[in-house]
Amino acid sequence: MYERRDRGYTEAACLAVGSRCCFPGVISHEARTLKFSEIVILVIFTAPIARNGRLQLDKDDIVVRVKQLQLEQDTGKSTSYPRTRTTAIDLNRAGMGLMEIVSEPDMRSPEEAGDYVRTLQALLRSVGSSDGNMEQGSFRCDVNVSVNRVGDPPGTRCEIKNLNSVKFMMVAITCEAFRQIALLERGVPVAQETRGFNEEKAETYSLRSKEDAPDYRYMPDPNIPPLLIGSAYVNAIRERMPELPDATRERLLAQGLSQRDVEVLMDVDSGREVGLDGELGRGAVAYFDEVSRGRDPKAVVNWITHELLGQLAFRNETFRENPISVEQMGELVDLVQGGKVTGTSGKTILRHILSTRSSDLPSKIAEDFKLIASDDDGASLEKWCREAIAALPQQAEAVRQGNPNVVNKIMGHVMKASRGTAKAQDVRAMLLKLLQQ
Amino acid sequence: MISRSPSRFCRLHETIRPYERNVSSPARAHPTNALVGPLGTSSYPLSGAGPLVGLRLAVKDNICTKSLPTTCSSKVLQDYHSPFDATVVSLLWNNGAEIVGKANCDEFGMGSLNLYSVHGPVVNPFGLQGEESAAERRSAGGSSGGSAAAVAAGLCEAALGTDTGGSVRLPASYCGVVGMKPSYGIISRWGVVSFADSLDCVGVLARDIDTTRRVHDSLAVWDHRDPTAAPPHVRTRAKRVSESALEYLKSETLAGLRIGVPREYFPSELEQSVVAPLRSLLNQLRARGATIVPVSLPSTPYALSAYYVISSAEASSNLARYDGIEYGMRVEPPPGANFTKTANVYAYTRSQGFGREVQRRILLGTYALSADAFENYFLQAQRVRKLIKADFDRVFCIPSVLNSPSSPISAGPSEGVHVLIHPSAIRTAPALPTLDSEGNPEDGTDAPTSTLDAYVQDVMTVPASLAGLPALSIPAGTGADGWPIGASVVGQWGSDELVLKVGEIIERCRGDT
Repeated sequence: MYERRDRGYTEAACLAVGSRCCFPGVISHEARTLKFSEIVILVIFTAPIARNGRLQLDKDDIVVRVKQLQLEQDTGKSTSYPRTRTTAIDLNRAGMGLMEIVSEPDMRSPEEAGDYVRTLQALLRSVGSSDGNMEQGSFRCDVNVSVNRVGDPPGTRCEIKNLNSVKFMMVAITCEAFRQIALLERGVPVAQETRGFNEEKAETYSLRSKEDAPDYRYMPDPNIPPLLIGSAYVNAIRERMPELPDATRERLLAQGLSQRDVEVLMDVDSGREVGLDGELGRGAVAYFDEVSRGRDPKAVVNWITHELLGQLAFRNETFRENPISVEQMGELVDLVQGGKVTGTSGKTILRHILSTRSSDLPSKIAEDFKLIASDDDGASLEKWCREAIAALPQQAEAVRQGNPNVVNKIMGHVMKASRGTAKAQDVRAMLLKLLQQ
Repeated sequence: MISRSPSRFCRLHETIRPYERNVSSPARAHPTNALVGPLGTSSYPLSGAGPLVGLRLAVKDNICTKSLPTTCSSKVLQDYHSPFDATVVSLLWNNGAEIVGKANCDEFGMGSLNLYSVHGPVVNPFGLQGEESAAERRSAGGSSGGSAAAVAAGLCEAALGTDTGGSVRLPASYCGVVGMKPSYGIISRWGVVSFADSLDCVGVLARDIDTTRRVHDSLAVWDHRDPTAAPPHVRTRAKRVSESALEYLKSETLAGLRIGVPREYFPSELEQSVVAPLRSLLNQLRARGATIVPVSLPSTPYALSAYYVISSAEASSNLARYDGIEYGMRVEPPPGANFTKTANVYAYTRSQGFGREVQRRILLGTYALSADAFENYFLQAQRVRKLIKADFDRVFCIPSVLNSPSSPISAGPSEGVHVLIHPSAIRTAPALPTLDSEGNPEDGTDAPTSTLDAYVQDVMTVPASLAGLPALSIPAGTGADGWPIGASVVGQWGSDELVLKVGEIIERCRGDT
């Protein structure tokens, strides 16, 4: 007959509260719950559980003030088909917990609004509060737009409801701003109203004006007891809260990674799954952290961003499908760094694991495929080089005549014979030595 | 995106199947009209174990039963079958009780005379004894009139009712049976069709205190599905603070027990013939050693208005779900109907599906919640409700554990009382009006003044409802017309056991006379 509030929703909200857009010391101990019913939908509004946050945007150097965060219940979704004059109602999300985060009017362009939404999205994902998926409707925006001449106070605002992608949101803001400017230039005042956005026509349309705003007649819901959020509860959540994106970025840069490498890792990371229980999937950053433990971070990040991600992209696979365990990756880096296999052989091993999903350690694969770099004080290297010189007398002669570029051709022969286990520099040195004797 | 999985919408529709009405059922044929729909015995085979073995129970028709229709005595749910059993129904069944059927009631529990029912009014069995020619058709009280009448007529040993503002105690008083409204949150409301959530309680009606207690104790368990259920630790604390009072009742004399008599419960509407039996009851209690203390609950006169504002407001929100779309009756709008607003579509179903009293309360509640009236009606009523609670806390020596959710519990006033006793109703059962062909009273009892008269029936019972306190109505003799009257015992929140214990003593006093 009535809904039982799921603890998970409160926790998700508290995670967001505890996160960077945090609201220092304003966890409310009084939550008034309101409800109205309309059609088949119950909506629960609560008093904000947090107020006065700040969010530093990722790209633009501005801080957006966050007015409040409140818990609600999701409604159903209605889709109107004007042609048949019917409306379809989807209640799959009805009754689920929903967190509304209200910002202050601190953004001055569609781009800044887009940056705000993306920053917030990354933050909520990083703490596991929401998967931030806009296509599936688990992250949506209502945007208020107003225009004014430089120096004038803000104009009358219009609210655009239910925008479900950053791109469309930015287009909608632009369209709405031009609509308002056109009105003002004709001398017509902007009427405060709620508007929808037609993605196909790229224009906003009136949903309802301020005058016919419905009287929801909402009231405190007696079925929902007060929500008391104690400081002990908040502290417990703070303690087990994952690293926030800012801190991750700083930590990685401090390890000597380039700006670009950090961005690649974090971009891949933000695509990781957020389970229904808010449990975070293991992302690229965690993978990097584990592999780089006790190893050169720069070498590890190169192997991950260039080789592993490159090969995955080539194979049209995502990082989530990466079959290479931390142990395998670690040993692979060790083999190459320690000169046990050449970089070329290392890449071969990586490709081999990706295509066969082998769980063998790279050292075993290297042995199986005879990829271990020869360690006989150059005996086999010299043998391969002599064979190559014998096989390519014309080219060898050219090098002897003082044309060093031709040595590359002979090197290729050696590399082939060594199956990539010979190091290019060593081969070149050995060939030059033999040919210039 | 439109429908990835069957929506709630579809699921609800699947659960609704018309039931076959068993018109020839003997229960329906009973002159009291107490039980409605088919008999329950076949659908609820005896489980054969538990403390309620041997008890036959009726369940008020606003409590969901899987095997029996749940109509709430409303046309809008006339063919409704719940897909699940209410927690209380499962508990009855698991404890070995036999469920004999669904009890008639006022539509959605709104009414004090069990007059507003799609099944027709309930006739008080007290007037049906003896010669048929001498039969006197009086009200069984409401809204749990069918539950009270079924017990009084011997159709069952006990019945479940619901009490929002007196709906268990008033019919118990009119029919001469015991009616217990427990503390709010003690018995699960999961599966009880909501009227006013902050007030609704499941209550027990029975012939005697012993049966009432057996049923009450079987149902008074915490249910996680009811978010307003008192959690176990709160129950334990409440039990602990009322323990000392129970000590007084163990001895032969009642020395130490302090009983308060609130002077505001003797209003001008109270029939004088109700006072005499109550006075003799108090004298008997005093003779056994109890101290009778006159007390004052000064906010009582405002309780009735506050109750009707709050309960109607909550009802208007709760009953919004009967829109002809989700479940229950649907009246198709006629061709050419105005579809510009969804409300226009609902209106057809609601106009035909809801009875006059329900419509009246929805309108009253809707008004109280509108932006213009919210402050003066709804919020004002909530303030009165706080004052009423404070009144009770001032007179009880047992503190409310709800006021201090964490220890220590501040002790109540040392001069305070353990329980309060007052008349359950202002009079004996009133006569049933004769109804015209449309079900409206012929003698003008539907006129505004008479509606107010009906609301006044609740004047003694609503304060305990607003404060969420346990309140018991127990037969206390007869009025001047020879019809039963009831006495009410009200205790601090959570002292349900103490209230039943005092009820048992009253029962013994009456047995002695």
